[in-house]
Formats: sequence, C-alpha cells, structure tokens
Amino acid sequence: MRRDAPRPNRVLPLLMLVALAAWLGLVAVSVAPNRIVPGTGFRAHEVVGWAGALGACLPPLAVAVLAWHPSPARLRHALVLIVLLLMALPAWLGLAATRLVDPELPQARLGLGSAFWVLLFLLLLALIELRSRLALSRLVGWVLLVPVLLAWWLALASWLEPLALLQEYRARSDQFATAVWHHLALVGAAVGASLVIGVALALLMRPHAGLQRAGFGVLNFLQTIPSLALFGLLLAPLAWLGANVEWLAALGVRGIGWAPALLALIGYSLLPMVRNTFVALEGVDPAVIESARGMGMSRRQVFLQVRLPLALPVILEGVRITTVQAIGLTAVAALIGAGGLGGFIFQGLGQAAMDLVLLGALPILVMALVADALLGALSERLHPGGAR
Amino acid sequence: MIELFDVTKRFGSETAVDGISLRVERGELCALVGTSGCGKSTTLRMINRLIEHSAGEIHLDGQPVRNFDEQALRRRIGYVIQSTGLFPHWPVARNIGLVPRLLKWPRARIQMRVEELMSLLGLPMASFADKYPHQLSGGQAQRVGVARALAADPDILLMDEPFGALDPITRDTLQEELRDLQSRLHKTIVFVTHDMDEALRLADRLVVMDAGRIVQQGAPLDLLRDPADDFVASLLGGDDRGFKEAALTRVEERMLPLSPRLIARARVHREATLRQALAVMFREHADRLTVIDDEDMPVGELSLRRLVGARPHE
Repeated sequence: MRRDAPRPNRVLPLLMLVALAAWLGLVAVSVAPNRIVPGTGFRAHEVVGWAGALGACLPPLAVAVLAWHPSPARLRHALVLIVLLLMALPAWLGLAATRLVDPELPQARLGLGSAFWVLLFLLLLALIELRSRLALSRLVGWVLLVPVLLAWWLALASWLEPLALLQEYRARSDQFATAVWHHLALVGAAVGASLVIGVALALLMRPHAGLQRAGFGVLNFLQTIPSLALFGLLLAPLAWLGANVEWLAALGVRGIGWAPALLALIGYSLLPMVRNTFVALEGVDPAVIESARGMGMSRRQVFLQVRLPLALPVILEGVRITTVQAIGLTAVAALIGAGGLGGFIFQGLGQAAMDLVLLGALPILVMALVADALLGALSERLHPGGAR
Repeated sequence: MIELFDVTKRFGSETAVDGISLRVERGELCALVGTSGCGKSTTLRMINRLIEHSAGEIHLDGQPVRNFDEQALRRRIGYVIQSTGLFPHWPVARNIGLVPRLLKWPRARIQMRVEELMSLLGLPMASFADKYPHQLSGGQAQRVGVARALAADPDILLMDEPFGALDPITRDTLQEELRDLQSRLHKTIVFVTHDMDEALRLADRLVVMDAGRIVQQGAPLDLLRDPADDFVASLLGGDDRGFKEAALTRVEERMLPLSPRLIARARVHREATLRQALAVMFREHADRLTVIDDEDMPVGELSLRRLVGARPHE
C-alpha cells in the first residue's frame, strides 16, 4: 500500500498524446506561391526532419509523465513547460517560414495547417487544466499569457513576414483598424442602449404580472426571428424614415448601414438583459427584504441599498451574455453595410480566401473572450463579501 | 405597552386574525403560540405595520400605530425573524448599525453602540466586526440579528420564531441568553413560536391562538394547571404537561430543611428544576435527594412525595 501516492491526472497525458498525434500526423503548415493557388501542405517532419519532429515530442511527453504522478511542484514544472510550448509555436512557424518560403517570391505565403490549430487548442486546454489544478487566481492565469503574447508579437514583427494572415492584414491595415472600431462601437452602443432600456423594462414589468407575460412574449418572439430576416424587415421602415424625417436623415439613418444593425442588435440584446435583470431583482431573498422593511427602511432605501446591490452580480451576468452575443451578431450586420469585422469574413468567403476570413473571425473571438473574462471577473468581485 | 382592541385582519375573503384583544405590559415577555396558520405571525406583523390591520385598533403606549409614520414606527420597534434577514452584502458591524444609521446618529455614537451590543451578545469586536453573514454559524448570525434589533435601544421587540432554525443546543444557549438579557433590559417583547418548551421557558405570559382567535392567555403555570379546553391541553403537551410544569419550578421552592436522617447520596443543585430532580431520582433509583448549593454544601432535602406535591402522611 502506497499511502501518499496522489491519483494520476489523466486529463493532461490524454491532451498531450492527442497533441503528439496531431503534431506528427496532421498538416502543420501550407505554402502557396500566391493568394489564388491552393497551397501545398507540409507535416512537421517534412519541415524539420524526423529527428527534429521527434525531438519536439519530448516536452509534451515530459508534461504527461509529470502529470501522471502529480504533486504541486511537478504540476508547476508542467505549467512552465506548457507556457514554453505556447511560446515555441510562433517560433516554429518562423522556422517553417524561413525554410519553406522562397524569399524571391514576394507573393508567396505561409498558411496555418490543422496541426497548428489543434496544438494551440490543446495547449490552451492544458493551461486551463493546470490553472484549476493548482488553484491559481484569474489574474495569474492572465499573467501566464503575457510571455506567450510577447513571443507572438516578436515573431510577427520579425520572422513571420510570409504568414498569409499577416499579408492579408498588411493589405488592409487601415480598413482593419476602422473595422475593429466600428465593431466595438456597434457592440458598445447596442449593449449600452439595451442595458438602459432593459433595466427600465424590467422595473416597469416587475409589479404587473400581466405586463410580464406580454413583455416576455414579445421579447421571446423577437429573439426567434433570424438575424438576416430582421435586417430585411427593418429595411423598408427605416428607409422611409430616412427619406421623410430630416433629423434622422442627418444622423445617417437609412434602410441599410448602422441604423438597422443597431436596432436589430438592441432587439436581440433586450431579452437576455431584461430576463437577467428581472430574475436578479426577484431573486433577492424575501426574508432580507422583509427585515429591511421591518427595520424601517423606506421603499427607496430598500431598493437602492438592499435589492439593487444584491441583484447587481446577476444583472452583470446578463450584460456579459448580451455582450458576447452582440459581438458575434455584429459580424452578420456587415451584410447590410454596417461595417465591422464581419466585412472581412464575407469578403473572404466570397473570394475563397480563408486567411481573410480568419482576419475577421480571430479578432471577434478575442473580443468575445476578453469581454467574457472582464465582465465575469467584475461580477465575481461584486458578489456580496465574496460570498456564494 | 402594546394594546390590541378587537383587531381583525382579512386577506380577501379569508380571515387570518379574528377580533383579538390583547394587552402586553411594559417589560413583559408575551409569547404567542399555536399551530401554523393560526394567525400568530400576522398578529406580530400588524404591530409594526408590515401588515395593516383591517379592523380594530392597535395602540403603542396609548397611541394608535396608524398615527405614527410607518418608517418611524418600525425604527422604534426591534424586529427579529427566523432566517435572521441579515444583509448578506454588509459586514456584521454595518448590519448591527443599520437602524442607528437610518436615525442619522453621529458616526462615533453608532460605532460605540455597535461595540457595546457586540460585547453584550458575546461577539468579540475584533473577530466578528468585519465578517460577512455567510461566515457566521446559525447561532452567531441570530445573535447579530438580535443585536441589530436592539441597536437603537427600542422599548419594544418583536421576535418571529427567532430560534426556530437553530440546532437544539444552540437554541438552548440563545434562550438562556435572551432570558438573561431580558432580566437586565426589561424590554416589552412579543415572541412568536410554535415550540411550546421555548414559550414556557421564556414567557411571562402565554397567549394560545387557534384559527385567528385567542383561545386562552395567562401565566404559563396557570395554563398548564388549568387549560381552557382540549386544544390548549394537547398543545401544552397532553399528558406530558406534568413534566412541563415540573420544568418551570425550582428545587429550592419545594425542598425541606435537612432532616436528622442519613444524608441521601444522590444530590441535586438548588436551582435545578423539579424535572431535572425527577430525572436524577430516576437515574439514581433514589426517592430522596440532597439539595446542594454552589459550594456543594447540603442545604436541604427533597423527597419524591414532596417533589410531586403529594400531601404528607399523617
């Protein structure tokens, strides 16, 4: 009987084994002489030889072994290895770029293969697993990503000239900045407006059961209309308003553009916002409200000092869901000329240029993740006394 | 002093409280008892107007409660409920200082009052002031609840099953503390409970309610000895009433001076209840006990016959 032997962590070895299989078996990078021609795929060993490819398997194997007999010290070593591997990814791409891309061909480009995405995904999963096993705080989790991001920045700036994604970006750097700005502005305006309207609606509906049924009915119905159809439905009335109401026209309200996009986004954002606000306000322990009244607090004091602060974390949860949803939906709004990162996605789809699609999709992904993390952390902080 | 004159409360077509009249003297602890839904909590909450009465009058020191501003009224009445109702987002000290803050006391005075109350209720300032309610045990949380109710030094305290959610040992301790507190503070307390032992132990006056009416009221011993009807008798414990009565009488009230006979081996403290004395007799297979004082010195004796109040043989 071994008393102190901790149970083996099975998650990390599994992740590492799948990563190794992907590394050795899947296409790591592809090289194309220009934007039109489909690229040729290369596996890892075709870039650095079998010795190099197998040598690179050692750190993941070490992580698997360390995790099989876990102790806090061993898991910390594994964590360092994972971070180093994440930093090695861009360096590896740089190496592939110098070996495979002919510097004589300015149009030649390096595409990211399936092995790259699988590795990135699995390594991030491993990072999350280790973070929770070691019970590291959210902040430490973010700090761990700093060296990784630095490595990427360095690689992009110096060796990854031929990366297709970068080339697409370079061809549109001005557009890119505007698109990001438009995207953020639309999301911000939609979330802000729906927060104000949503909280007002929730407050209005709270005392009236009939109004609640009607209100949620309408909002649920709104949610079921496909986004493209909603844009279509808004086309005619907004075009009419733009043509007939002068001050709206001066604002730029037309059948297409930002106005219908914003309206539709607000429409979709209202349901999660109202529902969360409503549930949050109703969910406050009635005994707490009763004792607040029993102590002699006025209605206003009960609401502002007790009900609202206790509901705030749940309301913020609604803001988080709404924001993430709006970041995704805004991509579709590009179809009616609202601008934003969706433009790149649809252009890329039209030209069968997957790297252009990525140029639109990746920032959307990052925005959603960052918004989710920030608002999640804020809502956690606001929980009463760190409780629950 | 709290007076209810023919007070009725109707919810729609349902009558929750049906024309009750009641007078709670200053400094008296009055327990409202009865089965669930008998109207005892409703009665309590009509006093601080959390529920408005439909008919009749409720007076506080001779003034109808409707003459007071609702909030001002509640701020001068302490209120304790079963689930404590502490604000989970406020630390203990802030919870306790709630009513003084509503009354706009100066900060220093609130601070002093909170410290005073925390030491009164055995909650050391250093370890509890900054804790949040979820970090407290059930007993500690209810102590904070009582401290909060006492904060602005109200004359009247309303308590709605305050110890109902606690484990038996903690409940026992808190009941003892409340008795102790009451003997020093002399508040006018209306106490709702369905735990008959609790009511008998704490109350100066017991009010038995059923279906919105008062069935019987009086001193606990009087009710135990002379219940008005079968309902009151069964609520008071049926045949166990004898034990409950025994639990209300102290050994020193029944003991006789030491007799020249051999001193009995089995002993009981003079402040123990007759019920405890009976338990000692049962356990020690003795029909005679030596009564001792705090220094373990024999001060008297108690026989089984004397304990149960039988007339001595001639």
